[in-house]
Amino acid sequence: MSRQLVIRWSGKAIEASLSFRGGGVRLKRDAVTIEADYQRNGAVIMLTTGGAAHRAVVAKDARGLWISCRGRTWLLVPEGREGAARGAADAPDEIRAPMTGRVVSVVAGVGMEAKEGDLLLTIEAMKMEFRLIAPEDGTVLEVIGAEGDRVELGQLLVRMKPAAAAGGKS
Amino acid sequence: MANRAEIAVRVCRTLRDMKIASVAVYSEADRGAHHMRAADESVCIGSPAPADSYLNMAALLEAAHATGAEAIHPGYGFLSQSAAFARACKEAGVVFIGPSAESMELLGDKASSRRAAERSGVPIIPGVEGVARVDDALREAGKIGYPVLLKAVGGGGGRGMRRAGDAAELRGAFESARREAETAFGDDRLFLEKLVYPARHVEIQILGDGTDAIAIGERECSLQRRYQKVLEESPCSILSEETRAAMEAAAVALAREARYAGAATVEFLLGPDGGFYFLEVNTRLQVEHPVTEMRSGLDLVRAQIEIAAGGPLPKKPALHGHAIEARLNAEDPYHGYLPQTGNVLLLEWPEGEGVRVDAGIRKGQPIHAHYDSLLAKVIAHGRDREEARRRLIAALESLALLGVTTNQAFLLELLEDRAFATGETFTHTLESREWPGPVTVPDEALLAAAVALLAPPDASRLGRDDADRYSPWLRLGTWGRAFSSNRGPDGNAT
Repeated sequence: MSRQLVIRWSGKAIEASLSFRGGGVRLKRDAVTIEADYQRNGAVIMLTTGGAAHRAVVAKDARGLWISCRGRTWLLVPEGREGAARGAADAPDEIRAPMTGRVVSVVAGVGMEAKEGDLLLTIEAMKMEFRLIAPEDGTVLEVIGAEGDRVELGQLLVRMKPAAAAGGKS
Repeated sequence: MANRAEIAVRVCRTLRDMKIASVAVYSEADRGAHHMRAADESVCIGSPAPADSYLNMAALLEAAHATGAEAIHPGYGFLSQSAAFARACKEAGVVFIGPSAESMELLGDKASSRRAAERSGVPIIPGVEGVARVDDALREAGKIGYPVLLKAVGGGGGRGMRRAGDAAELRGAFESARREAETAFGDDRLFLEKLVYPARHVEIQILGDGTDAIAIGERECSLQRRYQKVLEESPCSILSEETRAAMEAAAVALAREARYAGAATVEFLLGPDGGFYFLEVNTRLQVEHPVTEMRSGLDLVRAQIEIAAGGPLPKKPALHGHAIEARLNAEDPYHGYLPQTGNVLLLEWPEGEGVRVDAGIRKGQPIHAHYDSLLAKVIAHGRDREEARRRLIAALESLALLGVTTNQAFLLELLEDRAFATGETFTHTLESREWPGPVTVPDEALLAAAVALLAPPDASRLGRDDADRYSPWLRLGTWGRAFSSNRGPDGNAT
């Protein structure tokens, strides 16, 4: 029996087809097939593939599935689960908090014509300042954060109407 | 222990060795944190904001009185370089484990430490102290010549620091540097100086007893991002015996000039011509102090405590081999070093010959945005640099931390990078190159994901007609199904 695995990592979709038999798994990804034997004990997964042994540990939370293998950690989000892990500022007209922190200054005001790269507001977290800038030319429609506000990861702070949408980007 | 996380845990370890009872303090956000449990007792000192807890002198002194603490160790950061706190401790009849308020004022302030360095014959970089307005900065920078560096007068750690290649950049950087300095240290005065380039950051560890001082070799900490150190090592791979001796002599002269008591670090920039320039003094224990401890066998916290108790200065120790420290931070190095939060779901620390881990977290602990992003330090010692490097790589490869994005992969990338392997490390190395990070998930991680998410529940017990049937690696629980049925509201822990 073959099953489809679709996961997102860092915004990219990764697809593979899988089949399990006993303690073995066959994974087909980009026309390449890999076979591995596996054993699982709680959070620990031991894999043997092509004579090489890999030890991985896994855990899950609301953001997705965390996997650590050889000092590298991967946060994988099974398709269909779009949690906070997807992060911020995907849409060009929504500027979201890239981390949990505090607003230290607000430059943007409703109606402001911002050029790409203009400072909109500054957030501080872990004693460091981060400048949120306009992703493209446009008009500020809404500013949600105020100086001193605590903001959560992914929280909407500024909405902008791109100049291109307003008509005639040359 | 007037601090939190790894340094609080590390100081408590020495106190235990010395059979001295320890008291931890914690903010409401740190209830149940690793450091709270590392001490013999613990006291809540206020709400999460640092100003209400770890910077709250009255609450700290009250905790000292309530528990009968005779001395306070300030760690690093927070109040460790506050002369006002050292004075408040003295007035409250509690020993501050660190220098006198006077030494701290002289050396902790960049402007007066520069003058003290000049008096002691220590080479300094051309610059001006106390630039208050952007116009002053522009005028002074014009005299010194670009590029220039802006720094907070009030403290270290890279906060309030900006470099500017020309007048336009300086104009843009000034306000944000001033504000960051004000936020971090409650002091918005800035210092402007010429930028030495390409430079290495080399610092000398010293211990003083108020009269005399010893130097305990150098640490090179050139690999920095936003003026925060990432990897630190000792010895510096290119330092000649002569230059090392000159740097040590300069550091000791400055410590004597300041009648310094306790541990301090004198930081220098090593220029491309081999010349070195005084940067600043950190009048406290440094984050990277284990690098020196691994080479000298000396416990610097014990030395601090003994000096504070009126004990003698230790003899200058011989230094052995090579040590490298990596700072594990809750940050995403591949996306602008954004601070990361989350819950520590799983933790596995490395072990091995010559490996030391100074951890400030435990499993189940939330990592929040209130404090510094340092989670732990991993230090490896070897007979030579290559052995230390290989041991540190092996250690980081066996470290597992799930639930919070960290810079672990980046640390490995740096340690394996040609620039680091050959010792070509400069203060601009990290920021002058692109570090795009991995492009995709490797097969073994994808296979592990497949097993975790989709493997049949009893797979390891079925159809394996061999010894594996009796293996201890029996699958526990119905993990894969739990995940898919676990669709709580986005962003909420389930």
